[in-house]
Amino acid sequence: MAELTQNEKRLLAILEKEKKADAPHLAGMLDATPEAVVQWAHLAGDKGLATVERIVVKVYVYTEEGKAYAQNGLPETQLLRFILPGTTLADLQKHEVFKIGFGQLRKKGLVKVEGTSVSRTPGASTEADEVALKNPSDADPKTKELIKRGILQESETVRYAITITPAGLALVKQGLDLRGETGTLTRDQIISGEWKNLNLRKYDVSKLPKKAWPGKIHPYQRIIGEMREILLEMGFTELYGGIVQQSYWNFDALFQPQDHPAREMQDTFYLRETLPLPKGYEKVKAMHECGGETSSTGWGGVWKEEKAEQCVLRTHTTSVSIQYLANNPNPPVKAFCIGRVYRRETIDTTHLAEFEQLEGIVMDENVTFGNLLGILREFYHRMGFEGVRFKPSYYPYTEPSLDAEVYVEGIGWIEMGGAGVFREEVTAPLGINYPVLAWGLGVSRIAMLRLGLKDLRYLHKSDVAFLRETPSLRHMKGGI
Amino acid sequence: MAVITLPYKYLERLTRTDRKTILDKVALIGSDVERIEEDHADVEFFPDRPDLFSPEGVARAMRGYLGIEPGLSSYPVKSSGIKFTVDPALATIRPVLGAAVIRGVSFDDESIQSIMSLQESLHWAVGRGRSKVAIGIHDLDTVNPPFHYIASPRSRKFVPLDYTESMTMDEILEKHPKGRDYAKIVKDFPLFPLIVDKDDHVLSFPPIINGERTRVTLDTKNILLDTTGTDKRAVAVAVNIICTAMAEAGATIESVDIGGIQTPTLAPVERTVSVQECSRLLGIDLTAVTMAELLRKMRFGAEPVGTDKVKVQVPCYRADIMHDWDLFEDVAIAYGYDKIQDLPPETFTVGKPHPVQVNAALAREAFCGLGYLEVMPFTLTNEDVLYRKMQRDEEKGVLHVMHPISIENTVVRTELLPLLLEFLTLNRHRELPQRLFTVGDVVECCLTYQQAAGVSTHPDADFSEAYASADAMLHELSIDYTVKESADMAFIDGRRGDIIVAGKKIGVFGEIHPAVLNAFELEHSVAAFEFDLRAVPGYPVL
Repeated sequence: MAELTQNEKRLLAILEKEKKADAPHLAGMLDATPEAVVQWAHLAGDKGLATVERIVVKVYVYTEEGKAYAQNGLPETQLLRFILPGTTLADLQKHEVFKIGFGQLRKKGLVKVEGTSVSRTPGASTEADEVALKNPSDADPKTKELIKRGILQESETVRYAITITPAGLALVKQGLDLRGETGTLTRDQIISGEWKNLNLRKYDVSKLPKKAWPGKIHPYQRIIGEMREILLEMGFTELYGGIVQQSYWNFDALFQPQDHPAREMQDTFYLRETLPLPKGYEKVKAMHECGGETSSTGWGGVWKEEKAEQCVLRTHTTSVSIQYLANNPNPPVKAFCIGRVYRRETIDTTHLAEFEQLEGIVMDENVTFGNLLGILREFYHRMGFEGVRFKPSYYPYTEPSLDAEVYVEGIGWIEMGGAGVFREEVTAPLGINYPVLAWGLGVSRIAMLRLGLKDLRYLHKSDVAFLRETPSLRHMKGGI
Repeated sequence: MAVITLPYKYLERLTRTDRKTILDKVALIGSDVERIEEDHADVEFFPDRPDLFSPEGVARAMRGYLGIEPGLSSYPVKSSGIKFTVDPALATIRPVLGAAVIRGVSFDDESIQSIMSLQESLHWAVGRGRSKVAIGIHDLDTVNPPFHYIASPRSRKFVPLDYTESMTMDEILEKHPKGRDYAKIVKDFPLFPLIVDKDDHVLSFPPIINGERTRVTLDTKNILLDTTGTDKRAVAVAVNIICTAMAEAGATIESVDIGGIQTPTLAPVERTVSVQECSRLLGIDLTAVTMAELLRKMRFGAEPVGTDKVKVQVPCYRADIMHDWDLFEDVAIAYGYDKIQDLPPETFTVGKPHPVQVNAALAREAFCGLGYLEVMPFTLTNEDVLYRKMQRDEEKGVLHVMHPISIENTVVRTELLPLLLEFLTLNRHRELPQRLFTVGDVVECCLTYQQAAGVSTHPDADFSEAYASADAMLHELSIDYTVKESADMAFIDGRRGDIIVAGKKIGVFGEIHPAVLNAFELEHSVAAFEFDLRAVPGYPVL
C-alpha cells in the first residue's frame, strides 16, 4: 500500500470517532477547506480506507424577479388584492404589475371583465401558487410552472459524505503517527538537531514539478563551436573579419572576372559605399587583363578600378582569408574562418539571404591536392561522417577543384562542401609563392540535418520552446 | 548551371558504347546526373566547360575518358569562298564578328533541339545573356553571299523570326518577345547591328533576333553560323564549340573570309607543361609518359618531351584552359580523385583561437550562467525595427543594401537589442519568464564589431533586474564601468542607465518603455541591456 500522507492520517483519525460525516463538518474539525478534505478522502479511498459518497440535492433559488415576488406576492396575487368592488379596468391598468399579473389572472380564470368594470370570480385565490413560491418542491407542478415563468431557478448542490471502512478502522486501531509533517527544513531545525524529531514529508517521485529551463547556447552555435574546436585541434588559426568587403577582396583578388554572373546585382548585396584600392592592385588588374607574369592568359578585356572599389556584403569568407594570406605570405599558414555570408536569394525553407560559411586554408611549401583531400577526410571524420568521397567540380578561383560528399545513413551521399587549390592567378599578384589549399562548407546544411529542421529560417527565428527542449548533448550516428 | 539533355540512342551512337557505361562514369569527368528518364538523362555540367553543353561534346569527352578514342580530335576546315564585310561604324556598338559555314547537316527533331539548346546554353555561359556573345544559325541556301555586317538605321524593316509581317527594328524591341528580353543591350545606340546578304535580305539583327527568311528547318542542308559580340575570345570560343559539335554529328566545316582573315581554323593551341610541377601540385608520382597518356584520355594531344616536359595540344573548344594548372586538373580527373593518396600535410602547427571569438564565448558562458537562452537573429533587418519601434534616431553609420529582397531586409543591423524584442514578439505564446541573449556582429560605417544584448520578460521584470544582470555581465568580462542617467528613448525615464567606460558610452540598461512594448506588441515588462564588446580590456583592434 502506498504511504499515507499526513492529511490522510488526520482524516482517518477523526473518522474513527465520526464514522460517517459530511465534508464541511470534517473540514471544520481539520481546519481545512471541504475541497481539500474530499481530496484526502479520495486518496484514502484509493487505498480502500474510506468511501466517498457524492450526494446531489436539488435546490430552488429565486431569480431577481422572483426575489421581489417572494416579498410582495406574485403579480396575480397583487392584482387580486387590488380588485375591490367597483374597480375599473382603467384603475387596474395603472398597477405596475398589470401586464404580467392580468394575463395570469385571466389564464387562471380568476377575474371577470364586464364593460369597464372588473371583478373577482367567486372563490378566486392564488394561495396554491404562493405556497409553491414560498416552499418550492420537486413534487409540486406549480413549482415547475414558476420555473417556466423565470421566477424560480433549479440548481444542484453536491455534498460529500465520507465514511471510514472496516480496513480504515483497523488501520487506525494499529496506531497512526500523527506528528506534524515538515516540508522545507529551516536553518534552526538543521543546526539545533531538531530535525531528528521531525516527520519529513515524503514526496511522490512519479510527479514532475514545473519544469526548469537552463540558460544555454543555441544548438546552431553549438555546432559552429564543435567545428571550431575540431579545426583548432587540427592546428588551424582562427580568423575574424568584416561583413562589409570591397569587391576587390570579395571578387577581383580571387580572379573572379568583372562580368561574372555572380557579381551581378541580382546575386550580391551591393552597398553605395566605396573604399580606395589597396597598394599593388595593379598586379591584380594585369592578371585579369593578360595573366600577369604567369602562364595564364587572363580574362582579357579591360579591368575597371571603380567596379573593384564598390563595397558588398561578403558573399564568402574567402574575402577574409585571402586578405590574411596577402598579409601573411610566409609559409606555413593554416587558418580558418566561420562567419556570416550573404547572397541575394529569395528566402524560402532551404535558402536564406544570409548563412554561416566555414572556410579553411593551408599554405605551405610542398602541400598538394592530395593533402587537401587528406585534410577534408580528417575534418569530416572528426565531424562524425565515416564515408567521405570526392568528385571533380568547378570554382572560379581554384584549380583543381572538387566537391566533397559524405555518406548519411538513410539519405545516401550528400554534397557537403567545395574545395580546391587557389589558382596561380589568385596567389601570384598577392606575392604568395606556394600552393594554397582551400575548402568551404555551408554550416547550416549540417545544422539542418542534425537538428532535423525542415525550414532553415528556424535557426534564426527560433521558437523558444524548440531552444529549451533541444538538449545540449545529442547522440549522433554517422555525423547526423 | 547548365542542365543538358542526353537522349540515350543518340548518345550511344556518338559514344560507341552503352548508356550504363556512360552514365556510371559521366560524373567522374565533372557533372551531376540530375534525372534518369526512360529515353534520356538530364546532366548538369559546370559553367567552365561549355564544350560539354551538347550530346556531341559529352560523347567526345566520354570516348576519351572510356578509352574508346583518346587523344586530340582534329577538325579539317576548308575555305567556303564566302566573304563577310564589317562596317567600321560597329566599333562602338558590337564590333566582333565570327562566322562559319557548316555543310551536310541532316536534321531531325532531336538534333535541331540539340543545337538550339547548345545555342541557348552558350548564350548563358559564354555570352552573359547575349551581351558578350550572341549566336545566329541560318539556312545558308536561302540567302546569297557576300554578307555584310552593318550598323543600320533603326527604321529598317524586316520580318523577324516567328512573325509574318515586317517590322522596324525599333518595333521589334518593343513588340517581339525576344526584342523585349534583350532590348537593354542595344537600345541606347543610334544605329543597330544588322547582317544582310548580297541582295540586302536580312539574316539577323544581333543580338536580338534572326530574320524569318533564313529559318532552319528539317530540310536545311547547309548552315551559316554568325556570332557577334564585344569580346573576341568569347566569340571565337562560341564558334569553335558549335562547329566542332556539328562536326562530331557528321557535318563538314568551312571557313569564311572576314575582312581578309579566314575563320575559323579550329586549330589546337600548343602548351608545354612540366611533369614535376604537375606531380608536386597533385601529390602523385607521374612520368612524362603517364602524364601524356592521362591528358590524351581527356582528349588533349600530348607527347612527352624528355623526362620533365609534355607538349600538349589544347583543342580549340577547351576555352577553360587558361593556365598550366587547368591541364593539371584534367590530369587529376583522368587519374581519378579516388586514387589520389589523401594524407593531411605533415607540417606541425598549433591551433590559435581568435580573441574576438574567445571573448564572445566568455560572454555566452556568463549569459548562460544568468539563465539566459541564446538566440541568433538575422543580421539583415529594417529601420522600422531598429529605430522607429525603439523610439531611437537612425544611426548615422547604418548601411542600406542597394537592392533589398524585401522591405524586411533593407539594412545591416547596428544594434542587437531591437532584434531581441522582435524575438520576444515571436514567442509571446511561450512560457514566462523568458530570458534571451545574443552575441554577434553589427556594422557601423563599413566597420564590423561585436555587441552583446540580453532581455528578460515576466510580470516582475524591472530596472533592478536589468541593472544587476548588466553589472554581472560587465563584471565577468572585467569591464570597469561607471553609470550615469540615460536619455535613451527606448527605456522609461528614471529607469535607465548609460554604461560608461573611459568617458565613453558603451552600452545601456533599464526597463523598456511601454510605448516600445506596445510597438512590439509585448504585454509584459522587459528588463534589457546591451553593450559594445570592444570595451573588454585587451580587445583586438580591427
